[in-house]
Amino acid sequence: MGDTTRIGGDPATRRLLITWAVLMGLTLITMASARLGGEARLEALPLWSAGLLLATTFFKAHRVLMVYLGLRASTPAWRGAFTGLTLFTLLLVGAGYLVAQAA
Amino acid sequence: MAEQDARQETTLPNPGWGPLSALPGNPLMWVLILSEMLVFAAFFGLFAWLRAGEREVFDASQQLLDPVAGGLNTLVLLTSGLFAALAVQAIGQGERRRCRQWLAGAFVLGVVFCVVKVVEYADKLGQGLAPETNTFFTFYYLLTGFHFAHVLFGLGLIALVAWKLSHDNVETAAAFWHMVDLIWILLYPILYLLR
Repeated sequence: MGDTTRIGGDPATRRLLITWAVLMGLTLITMASARLGGEARLEALPLWSAGLLLATTFFKAHRVLMVYLGLRASTPAWRGAFTGLTLFTLLLVGAGYLVAQAA
Repeated sequence: MAEQDARQETTLPNPGWGPLSALPGNPLMWVLILSEMLVFAAFFGLFAWLRAGEREVFDASQQLLDPVAGGLNTLVLLTSGLFAALAVQAIGQGERRRCRQWLAGAFVLGVVFCVVKVVEYADKLGQGLAPETNTFFTFYYLLTGFHFAHVLFGLGLIALVAWKLSHDNVETAAAFWHMVDLIWILLYPILYLLR
């Protein structure tokens, strides 16, 4: 095995590993913000918790697009299009959530 | 000016692909990724809309899912995505053996995802929770089933490119696999967590 493919051996690999660690951490934050333990699981999420859940989801999707799929090397237009679509999807879900809470 | 444009075009990852020239990897894979994202966005929007009308049914049904299994599968798929990205790096550096090892890792974790999902399906069906149970479970089986089909196809692609190893092949299969990752990242909190 060459030096460059040793885990964390070059900047590109380090970027992938840091992204992976961030994604894993954010997944755990997502699960924690959904309050899965005990009686809290039976209750509706507080608004801040639902907001945090959607925000971490957006950030995770953004990282996958930019780093795993390499979109950060593309043009601002393409980056904006994919980021915008992800944001629009989650805003749509968030809006539906707010309507359900208000009903 | 035209000369400058032509020079810029040739420095792009995919010269000759018009607006898709600036996208990394196979441009057609990006067309697929965009169309899949639009399809799932429509499904998620519809899900949120219907949930607003049947909140009690959706929340009570969601309580019957296992969010920890879903979270575990998220961690598994993200790690599998990392292995696929490392496989692309390895083939880019001409390390074919290393690339196959990363692809094998990505494949094994993809299989783990499938096993967890099948156990989950068996558990739900064993409890009599089928697609026709209510609107929530119709969406649960539709969305996770559609995603599961993509995972199976992705596993086939990974196996194929591990056999027919080339930079383009590995990059294309990895892009598909990351798309599968991306959809699950959106799907998991919407179906399992948001209430």
